[in-house]
Amino acid sequence: MSSAKSDIIISAKDLEVSYLVQREGVSSLKQYLFSFGTKPLFERRKVLTGVSLEVKRGECLGLLGRNGSGKSTLLKTLAGIIQPTSGTMMVRGRIAPMLALGVGLEKEMSGYENIKLCGTLMGMTNKELEDSMESIIDFSELGDDIYMQVKRYSSGMMARLSFAIAIAKDPEILMIDEALSVGDAGFRAKCLNRIQEVRAKGSTIIYVSHSVEEVESFCDSAAFLKDGKIVMAGSVKDVLPVYLEEYK
Amino acid sequence: MKDRKYYTTRIVTYYDIVKSVALRNIKVRYKNSVLGFFWSMLNPLVFLGIFVFIFSKAFPTIENYPLYAITGLIFWTFFSTSSNQIISSILESGAILKSFSIPPLVFPLSALVAALVNLAFSFIPFIGLMFFFGFQLKWVTLMIIPIILLFALFTFGFSLILCTLNVFFRDVSMFWGTINPAILYFTPVAYASTLVPEHLRWLLQVNPLFHFFEIIRDVLYYGRFPSLYYLGTSTAITLVTVTLSVVIFNKLKRGFISCI
Repeated sequence: MSSAKSDIIISAKDLEVSYLVQREGVSSLKQYLFSFGTKPLFERRKVLTGVSLEVKRGECLGLLGRNGSGKSTLLKTLAGIIQPTSGTMMVRGRIAPMLALGVGLEKEMSGYENIKLCGTLMGMTNKELEDSMESIIDFSELGDDIYMQVKRYSSGMMARLSFAIAIAKDPEILMIDEALSVGDAGFRAKCLNRIQEVRAKGSTIIYVSHSVEEVESFCDSAAFLKDGKIVMAGSVKDVLPVYLEEYK
Repeated sequence: MKDRKYYTTRIVTYYDIVKSVALRNIKVRYKNSVLGFFWSMLNPLVFLGIFVFIFSKAFPTIENYPLYAITGLIFWTFFSTSSNQIISSILESGAILKSFSIPPLVFPLSALVAALVNLAFSFIPFIGLMFFFGFQLKWVTLMIIPIILLFALFTFGFSLILCTLNVFFRDVSMFWGTINPAILYFTPVAYASTLVPEHLRWLLQVNPLFHFFEIIRDVLYYGRFPSLYYLGTSTAITLVTVTLSVVIFNKLKRGFISCI
């Protein structure tokens, strides 16, 4: 089992992802009907083209790129949220996507009920949830507030709860999309600590960030995306200078 | 690689997610309202009042009009509320679908489960009311259980089609909200199908709901075994609708994320 191949936990080849973009307004429907369906109602817009990527087990990969370069789309595609238009993809292991903290929380329900709901949505079984309930409440530092409706939480409290649920069960692959930009410095430090802990246990991490410093201190390797293509991928040391040179 | 265990765990997670989301729907629906669950009974009760007040004299051929109306209204309310909830289910869960890898079918399914639970609970007071109007419990009453399941399946398939289209064109839910009340009067809920003039009967036949209401009335109003003809047509309608909905859903679900 310890062949070189099984060390690769994520591999993507020639991924192409495109979005459907609806043409606005009634006029487009009229055009569509009068052209008898030859003029399309939806346009395809390519977001990623020819993306190939390999991530090894235990690696921490940083995705660099400006807004709209396709980082989030790549992450969502790897997480199985978006289906690629073409290309092949293989992911071995349970993914904990942390794309936006607070999503999936039902504001009308209590924090406690939300742990169950959100945990299930993230793919935890009832037993796993029961086992990690205490550590989730612990990590979120919510104490008795856990029985309060989430709509009365501050945004920091929601972020804490959400992060605690996402990382409760040591994931094999953790995907973080600038999710940590909310919350105060203390919470941020705590999250980074926990991520380091998960990483020490052998989890693979893909990290999207605008902060070059964070990627530099945190990741082993990096990929630089521009206009939906990977400009360069490799070790952080090699990629960072290229990235900085491009956006000086 | 993908052995039996892989599939069993996937089905278990699917089941868990549907259960959790359905539970959420039920819990959230009546949070912060004083009367809570009673609202879901008030709606058919108001209609019942209106129908009895206005129509009971107009349709003297219906022997026990209140019982006739209530047996129809329970199912009409189920159809109308659950279709509305299923249609909006995917759009409402847009943020979740964009952040977690969850099969989108989970959300319409959960909406259906929540609506069924709601129906089961609302049956308790309604059965009391039905007895009050002279309903008699017989062995054949049990037939309502498979009929409910059939009707729920049809409602699901029908609503799933609209739900899928609604992701691309929000007009669908607006359209449905508008014609929903019209369909109530197009379906023999308040009146008997026999009152419809012979030359207009075909209008009823093209309405899928009519077929279901015939067998529901057979069981709950007439207390007899449902007409085999309408049982057959209802089953056929359900099969066609569900198959069609699954085909459409699977064909279009790839586009969901970009249109939510």
